[in-house]
Amino acid sequence: MNWQAHLPALLLAVPLLGAFAAPVFNLGGKTLRNVWFITVSTCVFLVAFALWRDVSVNGILVYVMGGEDFALSLPSGMKLPVRIILEIDAMSAFMALAGSITSMAGAWFSVSYMDRFSGMSRFVSLYFLLTLGMLGMMVTGDLFNFFVFLEIASVASYGLVAFWRDKPQAIEASFKYMVMSQIAAMLVLIAVGFLYGRYNLLNMGALGSVMQMGLVEKVSLALLFSALALKCGSFPMYLWIPDAYAEAPASVSCLLVTVSQASLYGLFRVAFSIYGVSLTNSVVAWAIIILGLISMLVAVSMAVVQHEVKRLMAYHAISQTGYMMLGVGIGLLVLGNPEALAEYGFTALKGGVFHIFNHAMYKGLLFLTAGTLFYMTGSRDLNKMGGLIRRSPGTAFMFVIAAAAIAGLPPMNGYTSKLLIYQSSFAVHPFITVVALVTSVLTLASFVKVFQTAFLGPEHKALVNARKVPSTMMVGMGILTVAILLLTFLPGSALSNLVEPAAKALVDQAGYIGAIMGGAF
Amino acid sequence: MTVGNLPFLVVGILFLIGLLAVLREKNMIKIAIGITIIESAVNMLLIVLGYRLGGDVPVHFLKGEVDAMVLPTPQALTLTAIVIALATSALMLSVIMLLYKHYGTLNVDEIRRLRG
Amino acid sequence: MWEKILTGFGYWDIYSWLIFLAIAGFFTLWLRNSGRQDYKEGTYQDEIYFSGNDVPEDGADISVPADSAYWGFIKFFTPYYDFMAKFHNGLVQDYVGYFILFIAVLTTLIVFV
Repeated sequence: MNWQAHLPALLLAVPLLGAFAAPVFNLGGKTLRNVWFITVSTCVFLVAFALWRDVSVNGILVYVMGGEDFALSLPSGMKLPVRIILEIDAMSAFMALAGSITSMAGAWFSVSYMDRFSGMSRFVSLYFLLTLGMLGMMVTGDLFNFFVFLEIASVASYGLVAFWRDKPQAIEASFKYMVMSQIAAMLVLIAVGFLYGRYNLLNMGALGSVMQMGLVEKVSLALLFSALALKCGSFPMYLWIPDAYAEAPASVSCLLVTVSQASLYGLFRVAFSIYGVSLTNSVVAWAIIILGLISMLVAVSMAVVQHEVKRLMAYHAISQTGYMMLGVGIGLLVLGNPEALAEYGFTALKGGVFHIFNHAMYKGLLFLTAGTLFYMTGSRDLNKMGGLIRRSPGTAFMFVIAAAAIAGLPPMNGYTSKLLIYQSSFAVHPFITVVALVTSVLTLASFVKVFQTAFLGPEHKALVNARKVPSTMMVGMGILTVAILLLTFLPGSALSNLVEPAAKALVDQAGYIGAIMGGAF
Repeated sequence: MTVGNLPFLVVGILFLIGLLAVLREKNMIKIAIGITIIESAVNMLLIVLGYRLGGDVPVHFLKGEVDAMVLPTPQALTLTAIVIALATSALMLSVIMLLYKHYGTLNVDEIRRLRG
Repeated sequence: MWEKILTGFGYWDIYSWLIFLAIAGFFTLWLRNSGRQDYKEGTYQDEIYFSGNDVPEDGADISVPADSAYWGFIKFFTPYYDFMAKFHNGLVQDYVGYFILFIAVLTTLIVFV
């Protein structure tokens, strides 16, 4: 039997096995559990990479769960797809690759970062469940299945944010996150219910083929947009992110970044592949663009004044999500206009999509370096740190690479994706480019502040006993650094092999529908 | 007798009651109860969407040939959603217990150490 | 390996930039190395200049804390930051309230425009 045909199901089955077998392996001791943790994370990365290669070669992959034939979406005699179908196009494979790399880096990092804490078997289980939820959100082709994976990821992350339960702030952050996120998930379910009641279909491709805009569809679009915008962190609803990302353990923050990108991917999937051609006026596109602009500027202005290092980085995560929304919003704006799409819309789309991958890499690395600072000094407050470059030059080097990438300094990968966004947004309106550039400058300002206060400067007497950074933590950070450097020095092949198929897959609604319905719509 | 849109109206009112509880109540347990009311309202919406007037149980071998059957898919969706709601309510209540242990109060206005 | 990324309005070529960086780095290092080599380490010639006072032992007394970075910028934008502090006030019911307001505005825009 050709196991490569089952790669989509393997992508979901391997973390599930890892999650449920972790307490069993924990009975064999700490080392066995750590080996299991790292092995399964690496396997997930290998499966995601193989899946991406498969999709680049073979086009959209369709996998039917539990049918008579796993590739037959319209079983004999039926005109509608009736089972849960995983549909993986280039955009899903792209996101799954980004998610699996951050998951692997976080896993390597947590092995020694969390070694003083008890309950690690539950941490490993929850970590794999969070990875499963994220990957499920990215590969599924069914709306209710998307909701279920969204809830799996959310519940796992509530537990992981509150993991250090002796700290009151962590529990508070988890409570606030839980209240906002549950209401958002219920709104997603209402929207799914409305669409089901209208069309009797839950499959995303099938819905896209029969969608006709009416009052109910517009209300569903508004509810899905708002709920997914809350989960990914756009302007009025980002208020849970600084608390939750700051109080979670560092490897969990690294993974939570990609989980939020999965919700952003869900928003794009709804707007491009389900609603697609039915979006006749540009309200949704302008809403995405304006929310992106406001998130960018407000979040970075709040980030400059923070003195707690992980809260500062969480505000930057919100700001960079604004860049992605801006890029893809411009692409959505000119989706119906082929010449504008070819002139600047597709470039904006490529910039936004590339920024998703870049952001997962450098923001994950920044959170891991913040975790290293906490491990070395025992505090997250920048006022108490100084001169740490002598203690760990490797961490400082990796921090410089990640900070240069996020600030958009040439030649890093952040500069490449931001250049694509700047030049295409200038064609829409110059004010957008001005806002994006000011945000970039303020990002650079806040990271110069962090680098100078934490790493440079004279050595503090209180930090003489700073702990040495273990090697598995350096390996975790090194994985992300290698990914950033590969994207930096091979931008052309990254753009043409990684990003362009993904951007093309977003624009191609007919291909997405055709893979499910078999061309008979 | 036609039912009209009455079930949807009830769902809407229940959702608004839950939302008002989340927005206005000061006791954290009442906020958790408000969220469970919202979840119950959404589950009820899913069930109501599947109802067909005069429909019967959607099990073919029990009822034989009937004119109309209630849709079974929303019932499956609702079962999943009920389980998810159960898990999150349990987690929320245990988090509230831990918050009470740390802060000594159940008033949500005093749980404000993280701001700015 | 000479890949150019065309953006439709210009291009980005990483290797030209790295060559520029190498040239600039060469000049910087040449200027840095043209200082005096004849100083004695460990004496007063090696110490930082602290306006003529004694240099404190603990580095924590010399370094500028993170809270006072960009103080001019923060002082100018104090009204804006006061407004932002009220927006981020930490009450979860206000956060949910902003979310519900946003949903109302967005639904009105999408349904009626």
